[in-house]
Amino acid sequence: MVSLIVNGSRMDIETDVDKPLLWVLRENLGLLGPKYGCGIAQCGACRVLINGEATPSCVTPVGSVAGASVVTVEGLSQPNGTLSAVQQAWIDEQVPQCGFCQPGFVIATTALLKATPRPTDAEIDEAITNICRCGTYPRIRRAIHRAAALLAER
Amino acid sequence: MPRFLSRRGFLLTGAALGGTVLVAAVGGVGYLASVDVDGLDGHLDGERAVLNAFVVIHPDNRVVVNVPKTEMGQGIHTGLAMVVAEELDIPFDDRISVVFPTEAHPAYSTWFNVLQIRPEEASGPAVWVGRRVLGQLGFIATGASGSTMGMWHPMRVAGASARHMLLAAAAARLNVPAMELATGDGFVRHAASGRRLSYGELAHEAALLPPPDHPALKPTSEWRIIGRSQPRVDIPAKIRGEPVFGMDVTLPHMIYAAIRHAPVFGAQVARIANEAAVRSQPGITDVTVIDGRKVAVVAGSWWQAEQAARLLEIDWTSTDADSVSSAEMSARLRSAFESTTPYEHINDGNAASVIADAVTSAVIEADYTVPFLPHACMEPINATVLVRDDGTAEAWVSSQSPMAVRRGAARGAGLAGVEPISVTCNITMNGGAFGRRSDQDVVTEAAFLAARHRGRPVKLIWSREEDIGRGLFRSHAAARLRAALGPDGLPVAYDALVAAQSITQGIASRNLPFTPGPDGDRLSVEGLDKLHYPIPNRRVRSQHVPSHMPIHFWRSNGFSFNTFFTESFIDECAQRAGADPLTYRRALLRDKPRHLAVMNRVAEMAGWGTALRPGQGRGIAIEECYRSVVAQVAEVTVAANGEVRVNRIVCAIDAGLVINPDAVVAQMEGGISFGLTTALISAITLDAGAVVESNFHDFPMQRIADAPEIEVSIMESTEPPSGVGEPGVVPVAGAIANAIHAATGRRIRSLPLAVTETIGERRTRTVLPPVAT
Repeated sequence: MVSLIVNGSRMDIETDVDKPLLWVLRENLGLLGPKYGCGIAQCGACRVLINGEATPSCVTPVGSVAGASVVTVEGLSQPNGTLSAVQQAWIDEQVPQCGFCQPGFVIATTALLKATPRPTDAEIDEAITNICRCGTYPRIRRAIHRAAALLAER
Repeated sequence: MPRFLSRRGFLLTGAALGGTVLVAAVGGVGYLASVDVDGLDGHLDGERAVLNAFVVIHPDNRVVVNVPKTEMGQGIHTGLAMVVAEELDIPFDDRISVVFPTEAHPAYSTWFNVLQIRPEEASGPAVWVGRRVLGQLGFIATGASGSTMGMWHPMRVAGASARHMLLAAAAARLNVPAMELATGDGFVRHAASGRRLSYGELAHEAALLPPPDHPALKPTSEWRIIGRSQPRVDIPAKIRGEPVFGMDVTLPHMIYAAIRHAPVFGAQVARIANEAAVRSQPGITDVTVIDGRKVAVVAGSWWQAEQAARLLEIDWTSTDADSVSSAEMSARLRSAFESTTPYEHINDGNAASVIADAVTSAVIEADYTVPFLPHACMEPINATVLVRDDGTAEAWVSSQSPMAVRRGAARGAGLAGVEPISVTCNITMNGGAFGRRSDQDVVTEAAFLAARHRGRPVKLIWSREEDIGRGLFRSHAAARLRAALGPDGLPVAYDALVAAQSITQGIASRNLPFTPGPDGDRLSVEGLDKLHYPIPNRRVRSQHVPSHMPIHFWRSNGFSFNTFFTESFIDECAQRAGADPLTYRRALLRDKPRHLAVMNRVAEMAGWGTALRPGQGRGIAIEECYRSVVAQVAEVTVAANGEVRVNRIVCAIDAGLVINPDAVVAQMEGGISFGLTTALISAITLDAGAVVESNFHDFPMQRIADAPEIEVSIMESTEPPSGVGEPGVVPVAGAIANAIHAATGRRIRSLPLAVTETIGERRTRTVLPPVAT
């Protein structure tokens, strides 16, 4: 049994402690926003916030984060459905193409803007290491700047 | 022999089509005549009013548009829904939703891709028969950049027809002539009496009326949606992390499977050395060989299945390819240049003798190569299949082709001794596709497992390692290009010999009931067979180079290599002629105003001719493909240590009339990223017959730090729409190779142009290869 706070709710999960958090989220909790893309922490499609830090969940044994707060893309919007500033910027810039990798980018950006509210392009290059095969990078960059501006207004 | 395949579907050659017409005339005209290929008749389905095969209206005024095209990121669901909304005369807002219909209605057939005749221009008996035959075959697929070209007109007609039926229903209800009525905002209004009825109120009556014979289409001047960027209908769900992909399909009692394919393609499973040990792993319910060639592990969790699959010790049978290396493959490509029996695609004029007779200083010859490449869609390959005890089957797949899903499901279940009486096909969002998801392989495997576990949906997921190194590939290819320059420096003769593994044969061998011979593969010479440069003496030949590698469609197919070859070579010709590459191309294209306009636009955007810093260079490339003309200029910086960075790529495209401009811009941006990754980074190597690369650590992708600035310009046009899904990829490698040459004087003739070095965690750089000595 492993306990986690997932998107604000406490979850007690019967699972092998070695099972990666990604597969616990997807298979045990039915949270399908975090994606399997590579399984080796290269692509970032599986990123979730663990105690606020964007972490590749595909290589994180669930037992190693017992008790932690986990936020997936499903947990970013308000309970009333209002999107987070990052999600809204992603829509405003029409970022996704296939969209499979985008939850990971949105999570990585959420963490970046928490630590660095107005990132430079160089800081974005440093922090955002996810892979998008559709090539939405120019829009991702614009959306990050837009989200930063939105958050500064709020 | 007649060849039956072209691009992404069947090409009914004259002979084949004639035969079909004959058969139809003798035995089947009555039957074929009854096949409804327009789909304009309505009916009721519970509270849903189905006005036709494309338009469904609910009582609460919601409109569901059936789009029989796979959404894989290109925005086609939005573009075709815009077309329907325009003709239906409703605002493009959240009352509109889009679904991929599960029914294989003949009106959904991808006949445009096969017949290569625009629906708005189609007429005559060949089209009549072709549409009916392909409609009956259930040939529905998304590819060849053909979705808008093939569907925009039929969906305009469907929208207009539905609107006409709603008007007729209102006229009857209000007892006024239809000509006194007007539509707007989802209502039919009678101005004289001030009455109005919503589409939702009218839809049931309208659905039971006969469709009009030739509904008038909205004049272009009244368009309010087409041509104006609209937000994509699929984006909000994707941003919320909703389960829209095949990977996310979740069904009651579902079980999961992992799989291992042979390291050397063609090998059979000789023995599983530790089957008992794998079976005893936690949660494992089945370990089985599929078709003698693969091993699947089934469990209650994919993680458990994959963990157990990693333990598998499989003895594979030996094959002829067990010693094949990349060096051996390269040698095979080179030796194809010496072939005495290449297939001659085109021989206009006397290219060979003009080149033979030319003075040495006027002759240019160069060889180019590209490697095998996997698709690496972000959503790993997967399929979910349920075979029920009653013999019916259902599949949920991120696929480009319901026909492939149905055929694959039937074949897979058949391998397990079950013949499904029907296959219901659910097409989900695709997490990237690039041609990969038109194959039936994963569906066949999942259906085999589902037939063994009847009553339980089986979700089979390939690991990333299976995708990169054990799946399907773009062919490697090489070309020997030769030209003779005339007194003005422009080519008077052009001779191209392409060595590649037949793309068509590869696809057909796995997916169709018949397989053409390998020679004369048109996909292998795309970009050369219809060369956009008018050169009087021209010969194009190809030589099939067999290997054990499974070859498949890959975003832009032959263009993905031939345009790199040609556009590099034209730069070499310009250099020999002492001409600026842009000026040289302008001279060659002087009688092609459409090409010239695109090239002039892109040159202006790039600031062609303006000064650059030392180590920087610009390169240009242009191609006509998928009926569009696309040109790009790349601007690169090559550092003293050889590190190459692409700073900026500008792109101009003439894609005819553009329905959703922002989606076209996105396709160019995405195509450029895809092409840049291919140009600088991607390579597959073979050792002892097996692919060495396995995942993104050794098969790296472009990341944001390496992404150039991109600027896209869309040419104004009133011509009908042309393709945009693939053209963005096509000029990139040539433009970058030419820019590297401009920056350094080095002409690199094989892809990738650079060597990728790892410089940190998820951090790489690309460095030009050492100069060969």
